[in-house]
Amino acid sequence: MSQDSVARTLQYLAEGLVDDPAAVSVSCLDDRGTTVYDVHVADDDVGKVIGRQGRVAAAMRLVARAVAMKSHRKIQVEFGP
Amino acid sequence: MPMRKATAPDPELRPDEVEQDHAEEPEVQAEPDDRDLAAVESIRELCEVSGLDMRPEVRGVEGSYLKIELIGEDAERIFGEHGRMLDALQFVANLIISRKLGPGVRVLLDAGGYRERRLKMLTDLAREYAAEVKARGEECEIDSLPPHERRIIHKLLSEDPDVMTYSEGEEPDRRIIIAPREIPSA
Repeated sequence: MSQDSVARTLQYLAEGLVDDPAAVSVSCLDDRGTTVYDVHVADDDVGKVIGRQGRVAAAMRLVARAVAMKSHRKIQVEFGP
Repeated sequence: MPMRKATAPDPELRPDEVEQDHAEEPEVQAEPDDRDLAAVESIRELCEVSGLDMRPEVRGVEGSYLKIELIGEDAERIFGEHGRMLDALQFVANLIISRKLGPGVRVLLDAGGYRERRLKMLTDLAREYAAEVKARGEECEIDSLPPHERRIIHKLLSEDPDVMTYSEGEEPDRRIIIAPREIPSA
């Protein structure tokens, strides 16, 4: 499975945050010029990638955006089971 | 500048809660140990998967902070220019590191001289606010800052005999209050 650098970064970060890293997967699709990344984790791990008041998710989105700056792409990141 | 009536810190809070940002760590420079090196390895892996021109270099150990500079064209251009992104990277990296290695190892990331520019800005801001607090005899509040930046201000102003500092609010909206130091009645 070939992932782009944003997906690989999200995968790496999510795996480092959850109890069940094997359940982490990142899919992406193009939506009118914006690449939408879906970070999937085990049901019990959703809270870990979102964090209190969404802080972890917000930080992961910013890091993903930083990585995407190199290729000047518009991205969006969603988290869920 | 948001000036407020001088009020004492909430008496409901235990002193250690009021003072938690002060938790002074010794400022000794030490050599990185095995756990520090494992933390650097995590950052190195993260740099690698990002596909960015970015690699970590250890700049020293300060208290429980491991100072790491991110070197490379992308590190400077992206994280050196966008402090929120640098703070976000540091926040997530520290979560991952503490899960992997347990508490006690924290990295302080820098890129393109960002932290030094920020240190100057925070120092100027703290001095300006402290001068205003002294002039008016009222406390004032600084907009929310991340913990490592609040620590800089607490530390700087702890050397000022005329003011005291504490923090209020919950992360990520935790703010520093600078207040006139009460003169102990003889």
